[in-house]
Amino acid sequence: MNELKKKFESIFNNITVNVVEDNRIVVNIKKDEVLTFLSYLKNLGYEHLSLVSCVDWINKSEFELIYILSSYMAKDEEYQEKEKTKIIVKTRIPRKEARFITVINVFENAEPYERELHEMFGIYFEGHPRLTPLLLERDYEIPPFRKDFDMQNYVDNTYGKIPSIKERKKEQNERT
Amino acid sequence: MRELKLFYGPQHLGMVGNFSITLKVEGDRIVKADANPGYLHRGFEKLMEQRTWMQNFPLVCRINVVEPDHMELIYSMAVEKLAGIEVPERGKYTRSIFCEMARVASHLFGAWAYANMLGFDTVANWAMYHRDLLLDMFEELTGARVYHVYLRPGGVRRDFPNGFTDKLVKTLHKIGGKVPDYNATFFENSLFKKRAEGIGVVTREEALRMGAVGHTLKATGMKYDIRKIEPYDAYDQVEFNIPTRKNGDAYSRLLAIRDDMIESVHMIFKLIDKMPKKGAVYTKTPNPFKWNIPKGEAYVRCESARGELGLYLVSNGKNKPYRAHFDTPSYNHGLTVLEKALEGESISDVGNIMMSLYVVAPEIDR
Repeated sequence: MNELKKKFESIFNNITVNVVEDNRIVVNIKKDEVLTFLSYLKNLGYEHLSLVSCVDWINKSEFELIYILSSYMAKDEEYQEKEKTKIIVKTRIPRKEARFITVINVFENAEPYERELHEMFGIYFEGHPRLTPLLLERDYEIPPFRKDFDMQNYVDNTYGKIPSIKERKKEQNERT
Repeated sequence: MRELKLFYGPQHLGMVGNFSITLKVEGDRIVKADANPGYLHRGFEKLMEQRTWMQNFPLVCRINVVEPDHMELIYSMAVEKLAGIEVPERGKYTRSIFCEMARVASHLFGAWAYANMLGFDTVANWAMYHRDLLLDMFEELTGARVYHVYLRPGGVRRDFPNGFTDKLVKTLHKIGGKVPDYNATFFENSLFKKRAEGIGVVTREEALRMGAVGHTLKATGMKYDIRKIEPYDAYDQVEFNIPTRKNGDAYSRLLAIRDDMIESVHMIFKLIDKMPKKGAVYTKTPNPFKWNIPKGEAYVRCESARGELGLYLVSNGKNKPYRAHFDTPSYNHGLTVLEKALEGESISDVGNIMMSLYVVAPEIDR
């Protein structure tokens, strides 16, 4: 683990590497270098992209993009230490007019993940072949997984307001 | 020949679950497939941000209808990692036994769906009956048949009732005794072989490129299993095999699933023998309404019946999660791998291939 840390720090500038206890390596990297870093990791043998995720840090008005990588087995029947390692690559992009580069050229299975992030967070991925809706059917003014999306307001506007118990009791009393 | 656009599912009889595929066909051959999920999207990951850590359990288990227990397991593991809770020894064994039961039940459900779709109704009824026997065991243990909410951060909700393990062994013997019949009528039936052999081949190279896990990978010969790679709970205490096959087609995938089920049954026997006779099954946790979990993030993974299952969970120090993102095995299989595997196959094999990839629609949509 610490060898990997030294390796990363010697090759890439502007990078912070933290080794966390349960075989996790957390890498914070500038957004311009993400693509080169991911393809470098793939060449090192970390070729399994488990997850592409996003966290909305609304107070800092930033999105944090997260790529989680691990490795497949080098030999079919033997278990090695390398497979335990999970590398979490993080980068931050501004929240306003969020844009990023697609990583499909490096990892083919990033395609549906990026489609989902485009739909749920409104991040535009340059170079993605089909950024069509994946899961939702309606159009939203604010993409629904952002923190400023008001769920209660949305439900009231779409399905009608449900009166509170007090209001309903009042109505009943007026009727009788 | 003229190319046609065919909307396959969710109401189509050959489709399994609430899922649809837009096919471009030339005669009977599929030229291009375009998976179209979203019929079961309930936004659980967003809803989880509004509820306390403990209130999320009834939501989490509904992500995968067929095997809710691994969803509970992965969520409890993530919360344990964030809050720094240890599970007592007997709790670990209880959890492992419970999860293996869920795996067997899930594989039986899979066998039902597969057999039912190909018209092997007898086998389908057997599989459903045997799953029901296991659901009875779940009911006795937890009070519920499908959504158990039995696991919790720090262990399990309560200990096994008196005589439960004996009953469980009896039930599993009953199911295991039927395996030769399953083989004769289904798995080694030449009618079934003709439908499944050489269909929907996913080679090793394709599987690695498209991020396949679970049986899709095991059917190409790789023993990729999180229970061995990164043992959690009591899986490092018992010996077990990871069954593999070589060809990578639908038939080898199904045989890998069958062998996995038999292996799980054997593993439950070993776990029951080795389990400590006395001890606590859970660690006490604070009052759930005032339970603030320290700032941080966790990424945990476990092996569900369908393959590697992961959860990325972020806490900002409050009594609710800040962000949760599930990495479910069906997501890759149902979107990336399925589209590739369907190319060049015939329309009648769509459900066949989808079932052999073990895709469950609610897991994709979440």
